[in-house]
Amino acid sequence: MEKKDEFYIGYVDAVGKETKSSIKRFVLFALGLLLIGSILFGFFQKEANNSVFDFDTPTKISGTYYEAPYPMLRVELAKNTFKDVLLLGFGKFGANAYLDEIKRHKGNINGKHLTIEGNLIYYNGKTLLQIDDSQKISLDKSKKKNFVLPESMGNHEVVGEIVDPKCYFGVMKPGYGKIHRSCAALCISGGIPPVLAVSDNNSISEYFLLTDLKGNPIHKDIVPYIGLPSKLKGKVEKLEDWYTMRIDVSKIEKLDKESSIY
Amino acid sequence: MGLDYKLVLWNKHKKTYDKIIALGMVLYLVLFIALTLAFNPETIAETMIIRAFGSLAVIMLHIILVIGPLSRLNPQFLPILYNRRHLGVSMFLAALIHGVFAIIHFHTLGNVNSIYAVFTSNMDYGSLTNFPFQVLGFLALLILFFMASTSHDFFLKNLSPNVWKGLHMLVYVAYALILLHVFLGAFQQETSVFTIGILVLGFIVISSLHLVAAFKESKVDGFKGEKDTGGWLKVCDVHEIPEDRAKIFSVGKKRVAIFKYDGKLSAIHNVCKHQGGPLGEGKIVDGCVTCPWHGYQYLPHNGQSPPPFTEKVATYELRLDNDMIYINPIGLEEGTEVEPILC
Ligand code: HEM
Ligand code: FES
Repeated sequence: MEKKDEFYIGYVDAVGKETKSSIKRFVLFALGLLLIGSILFGFFQKEANNSVFDFDTPTKISGTYYEAPYPMLRVELAKNTFKDVLLLGFGKFGANAYLDEIKRHKGNINGKHLTIEGNLIYYNGKTLLQIDDSQKISLDKSKKKNFVLPESMGNHEVVGEIVDPKCYFGVMKPGYGKIHRSCAALCISGGIPPVLAVSDNNSISEYFLLTDLKGNPIHKDIVPYIGLPSKLKGKVEKLEDWYTMRIDVSKIEKLDKESSIY
Repeated sequence: MGLDYKLVLWNKHKKTYDKIIALGMVLYLVLFIALTLAFNPETIAETMIIRAFGSLAVIMLHIILVIGPLSRLNPQFLPILYNRRHLGVSMFLAALIHGVFAIIHFHTLGNVNSIYAVFTSNMDYGSLTNFPFQVLGFLALLILFFMASTSHDFFLKNLSPNVWKGLHMLVYVAYALILLHVFLGAFQQETSVFTIGILVLGFIVISSLHLVAAFKESKVDGFKGEKDTGGWLKVCDVHEIPEDRAKIFSVGKKRVAIFKYDGKLSAIHNVCKHQGGPLGEGKIVDGCVTCPWHGYQYLPHNGQSPPPFTEKVATYELRLDNDMIYINPIGLEEGTEVEPILC
């Protein structure tokens, strides 16, 4: 006997036996595929690092303001132990716009004592503070501090990736590499200082704030080099717990390999 | 085919279909999030959402793309094709959540418009490894948007089936863009042989299924029957056609379905007026040729849909000679009455 000639019509309720079992097989196959896909995509992710962004708990910190050339607050943790907290703005912006108002009213605030309420970002020994309101910055009554000149460390050549420190040190995971590159470009052109995250174990520091050869901030010019493994050369100076490197942007060497910090 | 009858029962299948889609999506997301929380606890919610919905969308797209060739190879899979648009729209929604979250996360709160930023924050268009992969996802999402928003029958009617079909063939462009998006993007950094493997395997399965289905159809198109002196084409022996079914032949540049029913033979153009479904893979139900895709019906002897419907397809003249069927390759005006031949 010939098998029953089944034919499915969407608006007719009856579905033939064989058609039904074919559909069942397909549904099981599809659900199985989803299950396997979920396991593979879910399980095989690179583990994110333990950086922190306290976006929902504001913190007040006080310290001496200075620009080197990016805005920082030097906080005294214990007697004669200091920490440089890098200041940043809200979203993909630097801190300058938030500091302008207090500068307008109080003049030069370099070396003065400020109290700022913001959100802490920290990872691997570095601390940063996001300022989201210029009203949360206040000038404390105290004498202007003479601040210590940065210590020169000579010329160095290092390999790493230029990142935006806001995302790298806590706001995003991953905050580096190809996936994050566009965001880093926006952050740095928006005024967040460019930082070189080093992949070379022998380097004198893991992180360098990058400036131009005169020690001035760089933003837009460095955008094409962000988020790529590259080699940088320049004069290095040491602040309290950050290093800076003076570079010639046009001499950055893009390395055609996968960055080893991946 | 009574209209009310159609609506009520159609909904019953549709609801089951939708429930299965929802179940599958929820299952995927729950498992993905559970695994992420267990093995990557330091991650942030945004990354988890972006990845969960992006990978869900790409897997759903694979399921969508195998349904077409599968149901061409085996009509028993047609019921799945029948409501595929729901799967398509659900996949678009997952992709949309992925895309929107990615744009909010990576491209907003900056000094330029976020959509502008998608295109300009990485200008390495000349490089392969550094290519701005988000742009590829964005273009794919636009295509999926147009497809999802025109998936309703309203647009099918107003855009004409050909334009509609053309628009929906863009799914293959979207698929290519998405593969590039993932291979030039996430896979450069989140490199794992397993996730790369599943997409490579998916590509192999999808392309080979399409090739096999196309090969099967090319056999029909490759058909070159002998012509007799009157210019009629010799097609096949009458016994080769099963009762209430058809065989498809390419006649000139057109495909024609020859149906056998109640001891009679009739030939009509193979292409359904609804979405171009293959009428010759349909069946005679209640005396009507019934399209295998969505059940549109046509009377075999005149190619017209029974009232109140108004669709019409071209008809063809047949002749029987010693059990051998001959067809006049010059088709008649759509809806022309042709006396069925007896067999
Ligand atoms: C506006 C459009 C889109 C943007 C901005 C975008 C952005 C991104 C980003 C930034 C990633 C990396 C995420 C990470 O791994 O942390 C990614 C990955 C991915 N995208 Fe898209 N995407 C878009 C559209 C699409 C579409 C339409 C699909 C597919 C249906 C898709 C599928 C994927 C897949 C499968 C991944 C890899 C897995 C994952 O990490 O999520 N994307 N996309
Ligand atoms: S294509 Fe939809 S019913 Fe024929």
